[in-house]
Amino acid sequence: MIDDTTATIENEDTQKDKYLTFHLAGEDYGIEIRYVIEIIGIQKITDVPDMPSFIRGVINLRGKVIPVMDVRARFGLDARDYDDRTCIIVVNVDTTEVGLVVDEVSEVADIPESQVEPAPRTNKDIDGSYIQGMGKIGKQVKILLDVHRLLFSGQEMQALADSLEDM
Amino acid sequence: MSMHIDDDQMEIIQEFVTESRDMIEQLEPAIIELGQNSDPETMNAIFRLFHSMKGSAGFLEFTHLTRVAHAAENLLDLIRNGEIALHPEHVTLLCAACDFAKESLEMIETNFTDDSMVAAADAISEDLHQAIEQAKGVASGASQEQPEEESVPPEPAAETTQEAEPEEPAAQTRTAPVTPDSTALGTEPLFPEMEITEEMRNSFVQEGNELLQHAEQGLLAWSERPEDPESIGDIFRHIHSFKGNCGFFGYSQLEQLSHQMENVLDRVKSGSKLTVSNPTDTLLAALDQLQQTVNYIAEGKPPTVDELDHHLSELKSLLTPYIGDLLTEEGVSPEDISTAVSYKKKPVGEILVERGSATAEQVDKALKRQQEAAKQKQTEAAKAPARTSAPPARRQDIRVELGKLDSLINLIGELVIAENMLIHNPDLKGLQLENFNKAGQHMSKLVRELQEMAMNIRMIPVSGLFRRMIRLVHDISVKAGKKVDLQLIGEETEIDKTVIETITDPLVHLLRNSLDHGLEGPEERVAAGKHEKGTIRLSARHEEGEVWVTIEDDGRGLNRDKILEKAISKGLIEGDGSDLTDKQINNLIFAPGFSTAAQITDISGRGVGMDVVKRNLEKIKGKIDVSSTLGKGTIINLRIPLTLAIIDGMIVRVGSTTCILPTLSILEAYRPEPDQITITPDGKELARVRENFFPIVRLHDILGKQPDSRKLSDGILVVLEYQDSRFCLFIDEILGQQQTVIKGLSDFIGNVPGVSGCTILGDGGVCLILDVGTLVESAEDKTQPAQAVEKKQEEHK
Repeated sequence: MIDDTTATIENEDTQKDKYLTFHLAGEDYGIEIRYVIEIIGIQKITDVPDMPSFIRGVINLRGKVIPVMDVRARFGLDARDYDDRTCIIVVNVDTTEVGLVVDEVSEVADIPESQVEPAPRTNKDIDGSYIQGMGKIGKQVKILLDVHRLLFSGQEMQALADSLEDM
Repeated sequence: MSMHIDDDQMEIIQEFVTESRDMIEQLEPAIIELGQNSDPETMNAIFRLFHSMKGSAGFLEFTHLTRVAHAAENLLDLIRNGEIALHPEHVTLLCAACDFAKESLEMIETNFTDDSMVAAADAISEDLHQAIEQAKGVASGASQEQPEEESVPPEPAAETTQEAEPEEPAAQTRTAPVTPDSTALGTEPLFPEMEITEEMRNSFVQEGNELLQHAEQGLLAWSERPEDPESIGDIFRHIHSFKGNCGFFGYSQLEQLSHQMENVLDRVKSGSKLTVSNPTDTLLAALDQLQQTVNYIAEGKPPTVDELDHHLSELKSLLTPYIGDLLTEEGVSPEDISTAVSYKKKPVGEILVERGSATAEQVDKALKRQQEAAKQKQTEAAKAPARTSAPPARRQDIRVELGKLDSLINLIGELVIAENMLIHNPDLKGLQLENFNKAGQHMSKLVRELQEMAMNIRMIPVSGLFRRMIRLVHDISVKAGKKVDLQLIGEETEIDKTVIETITDPLVHLLRNSLDHGLEGPEERVAAGKHEKGTIRLSARHEEGEVWVTIEDDGRGLNRDKILEKAISKGLIEGDGSDLTDKQINNLIFAPGFSTAAQITDISGRGVGMDVVKRNLEKIKGKIDVSSTLGKGTIINLRIPLTLAIIDGMIVRVGSTTCILPTLSILEAYRPEPDQITITPDGKELARVRENFFPIVRLHDILGKQPDSRKLSDGILVVLEYQDSRFCLFIDEILGQQQTVIKGLSDFIGNVPGVSGCTILGDGGVCLILDVGTLVESAEDKTQPAQAVEKKQEEHK
C-alpha cells in the first residue's frame, strides 16, 4: 500500500509539466502526458451508426473495445486521408478510454508552468474552450489541449451523455 | 433418539460434516503451531472450533462427538486461562481429538446416524476422556496449584446442563428454560480478552442473515402446517444457533430476544399449548427486530434492539406458565415436583413393574418386540436414503468473492476470442494443415467446456429468490385479507446470479399485482364458483435455450375493456382500440403510469411497477408474455436468456460492413423472388412468407451504408422475431455462424439505437451485434401508429 502511494507520487512528479506533442493540420498541439496510455498506428475502425461525425467508430485494443475520435473532425478542420504517419493516441480520462486520431505524433516535451501562457480568445478555426494554454519552447508554440473538455464538452457530447442518463 | 433420518436432516448433517471438516483442516496446523508459540488468537480459533463442533453435534444428537469436543474445549479453556501450562502432550491430545472428530465425521457421513459408530466411537472417546483426566492431573500436579483443580468441576457441570438442553429440548423439566440463561451469563466471562475483529463481525452478520432467513421461511411453512413437527424443530435450531452466535459476540440484547423466542418455540415443540393459537405474527415481529439489529451491526451501529421490552413481554405472554411453577406458588415443594417429573420420565414398563401391575417378563417381552419394530424401521430407513443418494454426496463449498469470478469469466471470454483469432487466422487461409486443424479442434472443444463450466459457476438455483417471495405473499395476503396458496415449482432451476438480482424486483411487482389486482377476495371467489383460497403458482424451468419464470394466478384475469378504457383516457393509444389484438392490449399494462386499479392501495396501484418489470427485463434481454382469460386468471411468463455474456450469432454483411445477428431471434432466411414483395400505396415494403406478410427493414438504411444492391431480389431477407412481432431484415449476404462474446460499446459512446453491443472477430476487427428489439421498433414505426404514440409517451417522460 505504502509503496503504491509513493510510486504514484513519484509518477506524478515525473509526469509534471510533460506534454505529448503532435501535429495536426500544420499546427503543434500538446496534451498532458498523464492522460496518455499508449500510441498505436492507425488500424481498422468499425463504424458505429448514429454517432457525431467526429466519432469515427470503435477499435479493438487487445480485446478492449474503445471508441475513436478524429481530432481534425472535432475541430471542424478538413478531413484528410489516413496514412502511415497517422496515429491513434489512447488516453484515459476518468476511467474512460478513448482513442484520438492525429496526423503525426512528434515527441514528449518539457514545458514548465512559467512557459505556459493563457489561451487567446480570438482563434477562429478552433473552439477556444478546448485550449488549456499556449506552451512555449524557445521560439516554437504548442497549443496545449484540455483533454477533459476535448472529450466531454460540446453539444454533441452533451447529447450523448443525456442519452446515457436516460438509460 | 430418533432412528429415522429424513432428507432434510440428512442435508443438515451433510452441511455439518462439511463445515466441521473444513474447520478441522484449517486448524490442525494451528494446533501444531500451538506447541511453538501460544498466540491467543490461534488459541481462540481452536477453542471456537471445538465449541461450535460441540454445539452442532449436540443438536444433531451425536453424543460421542459432543463429549469429545467438550472435553477438548475444557482442556483448552484451562490452558487459555493460564490455569495449566501447555505441554507437548496437550498438543498431541488435541491432535488426537481432531483425528477422532475426523473419523466420527467420516462415519456420520456414510451412515447419517451415530448408531453405527457407537462401538468404535465409544472406545475412542473413552480413551480420550481418560487421557484428558490424566492430563488434568498432570497439569495441576505440575503447576502445584491444587485449588485450581477445584475450579474445574463447576465449569463442565454448567456446560453439561447446557448440553442437556439441545439433547432433550422437549423435556418438561423446569430447569430447561433456565439453563440457556445461565449459559448466556457463563459464556461472556469465558471470552474475557477476545477481540471482535471486523472480519468476525462480517461473518456474524452473514451467518445471522442466513439463519434468520431460514427461520423466517420455517415459521411461514409452519404457520401453513402447524401439525408438522419438523418445521418447528428447524426454526428452533436456527434461532438457537443465532442465539449462540449472539452470546459469543456478547450482543446481550439480541441474545435475550432470541432466547425468549426459543422458549416459545420450545414450548410449541414439546406440544404444550400457547395462550394464542397462532403465534406466528408475534414471532415474525420479533424475527424482524432481530434482522433489524443485525443490520445495525452490519452498518457498524451499536447492537441495540428497539423496543426490546415490548417484544420480550409479547413473547412471554404467549407462554402459559408451567404447572410446576404454579404448584410451587401454591405451596408445593419444588423437590416433590421434580420427583414427580422424573417419575414421569421413567419408562412405562418400570413404573408398571414397580406398581406390581405387570411382571418383569411381560415388560421384557414387550420391550423386545418394540426393539424389533424399531430395528425394522431402522433398516427401512437405512434403505430409503440409500436409494435416493447411493454414494453419499460429498459436497465441498468455498465462498468466492464475486469480483474474482467475474474476472475469471472475462478472461475466458478473452480466451474464446483469442481462440477464434487463432483458428480462423487469415494467414492460414488456403493452407492444408491437417495436424494444426486437429490440434485446433481439440482446443476448441476444451475452450468450449471451460466456458460452459465458467458459466455454470455463476449459476445459482432460484430457490432462494422464490423463498423470499413466501414472506411477501404471506404479508400481502394478510394485509389484503385474501387467502392465497403459493406454489413453488422448479426451485432447483439455475440462473445466472446477476439475472436473479435483476428479476427480483420484477417478481415482487408481478406477485403484488397478482395478489392485489388479480386475486379476488374470498367472498367474490366463492360467488364466482371458485375455491375460497386463491392459487398463485411460481415456477421456473429451462425451455428453448432460455429460462422461463412463470407467475400464474387463478384470479379475475385482465379485463380487456377496462384496459382499453384506461389506455384511451391516458392517451396511450389512438382511436377506440378495436383493431388491437388481445396480446397488444395485454402489453399495454407495461406502459409507464398505467394502472386500472380503482384506488391506490399501499401495496400497488400507482402504475409504476409494471414499467419497472419491463425495463429490468429489457436490461437482461428478457421477454415478457402475458396471457389471460377473463374470470379464469392470468399467466405472466418471463423469458430470460441463459447467459448474458456469450451468444450464438450469425455474421451478415451489408456492403463493406459486417454485423452479427443473435441466432435465437432468427426464424429463417431466404432469397426473395420479385413476386413475393408487395409495395403498399404509401411506399412500405412487405415480404410474403408463405401465408404471412412481414414488413421489410433495410439494414443499410439503419447503418447508413452503401449495399451491393438495393434490389431486394439480389440480397437476402432474414426473418427475425422479437416478442411475437416478426419482420424481415434485408442484407447482402450471410457469411457464417460464430459463438460470440458480447462486449459493451464504450460508455463514452453510450446507447446506440439498433446495436446491443459488439464483439471481436477472428481477424481482430470489431463487429457490431444488432439489437433485434430496437430494429423491430423501427419496423413497427412503419406499421403501427399505436406503438409509435406509446414510444413518444415514453420519450416525453
